[in-house]
Amino acid sequence: MKYETVIGLEIHAEMLTHSKVFCGCTAEFGGEENTRVCPRCSGLPGTLPVLNQGAVRLAVKAGLALGCEIHPYSAFDRKNYFYPDLPKAYQITQFAHPICTDGAVDIGEKTVRINRIHIEEDAGKLVHDDYENVSLADYNRCGVPLIEIVTEPDLRSAEEARALVEEIALRLKYAGVCDARMEQGSLRCDVNISIRQPGETKFGTRTEIKNLNSLKSIVRAIEYEYTRQADLLDAGRPVIQQTLHFNENHGTTKPLRSKEEAHDYRYFPEPDIPPILLSDADLAAIRDDMPEMPADRLRRYTADYGLPEADARQLVADKALSDFYDAVIAVYPAYKPVASLILVELLRRLNDAGSTVGELRFAPADLAALVRLSETGEISKNAAKEILRTLFEAGGHPDEIAEANGYLMNNDTAAVEAAAAEILAANPKAVAEYRGGSQKVFGFLMGQMCKKLGKSANPQIIRQCLAEALERPEA
Amino acid sequence: MTGFDAFSSVAALSAGLQSRAFSAPELTQAYLDRIAALNDRLNAYITVCADEAMRQAEAAQRRIDAGQADALTGIPLGIKDNICTSGVRTTCASRMLETFVPPYDATVIARLKAQDAVLLGKLNMDEFAMGGSSQTSYFGGVKNPYDTSRVPGGSSGGSAAAVAAGLCAASLGSDTGGSIRQPAAFCGVTGLKPTYGAVSRYGLVAFASSLDQIGPIARTARDCALLLSAVAGRDENDGTSRALPDVDYLARVGMSLRDVTIGLPQEFFEDYVSEEVRAAVQAAAEHFRSLGATLKTVSLPSLRYAVASYYLISSAEAASNLSRYDGIKYGYRAQTGETYEELIKNTRREGFGSEVKRRIVLGNYALSSGYYDAYYNRAVQIRGRIREEYAALLRECDCILTPTAPTVSYPIGQQENDPVRMYSADICSVTANIAGLPALSTPCGYNAQGLPIGMCLTGRAFDEATLIALADAFESDFSRREAQL
Repeated sequence: MKYETVIGLEIHAEMLTHSKVFCGCTAEFGGEENTRVCPRCSGLPGTLPVLNQGAVRLAVKAGLALGCEIHPYSAFDRKNYFYPDLPKAYQITQFAHPICTDGAVDIGEKTVRINRIHIEEDAGKLVHDDYENVSLADYNRCGVPLIEIVTEPDLRSAEEARALVEEIALRLKYAGVCDARMEQGSLRCDVNISIRQPGETKFGTRTEIKNLNSLKSIVRAIEYEYTRQADLLDAGRPVIQQTLHFNENHGTTKPLRSKEEAHDYRYFPEPDIPPILLSDADLAAIRDDMPEMPADRLRRYTADYGLPEADARQLVADKALSDFYDAVIAVYPAYKPVASLILVELLRRLNDAGSTVGELRFAPADLAALVRLSETGEISKNAAKEILRTLFEAGGHPDEIAEANGYLMNNDTAAVEAAAAEILAANPKAVAEYRGGSQKVFGFLMGQMCKKLGKSANPQIIRQCLAEALERPEA
Repeated sequence: MTGFDAFSSVAALSAGLQSRAFSAPELTQAYLDRIAALNDRLNAYITVCADEAMRQAEAAQRRIDAGQADALTGIPLGIKDNICTSGVRTTCASRMLETFVPPYDATVIARLKAQDAVLLGKLNMDEFAMGGSSQTSYFGGVKNPYDTSRVPGGSSGGSAAAVAAGLCAASLGSDTGGSIRQPAAFCGVTGLKPTYGAVSRYGLVAFASSLDQIGPIARTARDCALLLSAVAGRDENDGTSRALPDVDYLARVGMSLRDVTIGLPQEFFEDYVSEEVRAAVQAAAEHFRSLGATLKTVSLPSLRYAVASYYLISSAEAASNLSRYDGIKYGYRAQTGETYEELIKNTRREGFGSEVKRRIVLGNYALSSGYYDAYYNRAVQIRGRIREEYAALLRECDCILTPTAPTVSYPIGQQENDPVRMYSADICSVTANIAGLPALSTPCGYNAQGLPIGMCLTGRAFDEATLIALADAFESDFSRREAQL
């Protein structure tokens, strides 16, 4: 690339509280328009915001997950602007005193600094009806708690930006802060981007691309914007500082506001909400309540369970899959066999079906039972795959499926020994060849044994009995 | 109806109800009759809730009959029209909210209803509580019962005038920079602005959130205590309301004044205060001395910056608080406007009166980038200084005594259109709000024309009980003159 790209991100994440940040309405996604509203979140005259302490705890967890300093004092401010999706005409946010600052997140070899994390409320949604030529406001999202994560301009490529968003999303999921469903808008990203000559230390003029809601869009928008800015510089024209919208269909950016005057948000301290004060004890309690983070889980998988690093990474990167793995090994701690069954067989079926772990028709305990059957030699490896297929397609219990389909292996050695004696007696020529040193006929004799004993016989036991019978001096 | 006197105290009416001298419905009907007869002359009520009031009175009577009456059961009260009442329109005396009917009760209303108090109606005021004359109301100005050619003060002018004229037994007002105390002084009644955080603001349509407090206006300090006891206390709906142990606001009534030191800050007695007001307040101070109190001349040097600080902070908060009135969700909506921007511009141009617009412009200016440090931030610094100066004064004094306002009530039309003059007149009252302290105004005399003069007692945070006790002690020796209507 001719120019160096400089990127900083502002990530908005909806927090997983039950209720909204300043009222008791449910914070869940969806719902019919304007059914999840109350006098408070619709900004009726006289109402006051009351801070949801659950949102504070989750914001602290986000800070801990991203290596931030957590501030014992933080406070809210009002950001004033008119927009029909903002019923109070101001957004309550943390401007002067954010709850978390100075974090750091590693992506590969690179450390990206986190400038701040602050708590704020989400706005509503406007639905434009071009046919009726009206705009309708839906306030269901008004007051859903958000954190905004602001990075320093430490990223240098679209791929790094993508990796950082993935890493942050993963950590927020692990911390229980956000489900990071970009397609539902529970994680959204604004990209600040400028370019400069390699070796230049000053930043170029930046533009801000608003509200990107998929990893793909982030990459495409950055790549497009690089080209656009580079073309301008190549032509000797300046980049104008502006806010841009990324058009998914055309893959291009265009200015969001026609008049490009800077908004004056007239921030001032929110008088209705007392500052957030966190004692050492409060912080310690939240820290103790912190779930296992991806790095810790990776260490557990590799160091404690002996999983190969690549497998461990693959599991950890998909929290739902990894949680499922943990639930299976909690029942039956066969670390490697469970990992391999999940990463190979289960994942393949999920991918083929285009479904997710959450949609499985069976429970972790069922998979544990299946692995147990396989590991104790009660069923063959092939039977295990067949049972998994049945579980995947129809659910059920592995023991019952194995029973019903005759997958349970015959581990009755007396019967096998008797069969071996019969087969040896019936094939004196082969026996003589074997005893004369030919290993080849062993396979033939195995085949005879299996034929006689049927598919439920345990091949290992057959092999063992057959070998013993052949080695035994002739009676 | 026998035994009824519209100028009775709440305590006396309650005793009358208990002794069956009259029933709650009779009492309510008597007040409704007075409102019907006199309200046109005063314009104190914007909305009268006759039917609801009678229903409430009947419920109150059942409670009295069951022997379960509280202090305010069956007592007919008036409510300032910026306090939300479920199902009863709450206009803030503005065209913007002319038709606004809240779907919920303010916490203070819920608490009054819990005692089965009777709510007679909604009282007139300055639009959005901005003003000191009650003449900026969209529903027309309020008149002073002592002289209907004069203002009742503001912004809770309807609340004060209604109590003075016997159109309710007591009322609730709100006070952001003197809006309970100054009209109480102009109308010769007692008004108490509680400590910031003592009374929930949930349901009070916000003017300046860091300064607003709901408080009582009544005929006596004891009545104020009864109302305050009913409405005060922690409310989960208001994060700024404070949890206090059970406070008995009457606890200190009857106390000896021997150990009481009253501070008289010299800056409150300078030439901007009229001679008649100064003389009356100084005479009241002497009366406290005669009761055993120690008087002490003290100083509040930052008073000279108080009005500027107050108008910057209150207007900044008001500009933000009033931004929600855009005609989209409720209230007035302009008939014209092609775009969202045009619609809200027209709505706000037509829906707000000029004083409200003046404050919005001032507030937004004070907060705008480039001016923020020079105005808003400076105002906040001065707020800090005033708080420190009060804290120091209240370490050496138990309370501060000042005039409530520099003058008595003035003729309607004389100065309401001169903002600088109007704002300057708030000098005696704004510091209690800036410092978040409780302050009580009670009549201390009448001028030559018989117009009431108020004095203001300002105390330590959450020490309303001392102010009530001092005012009560003064009242018992004070010969009050009722308004002649």
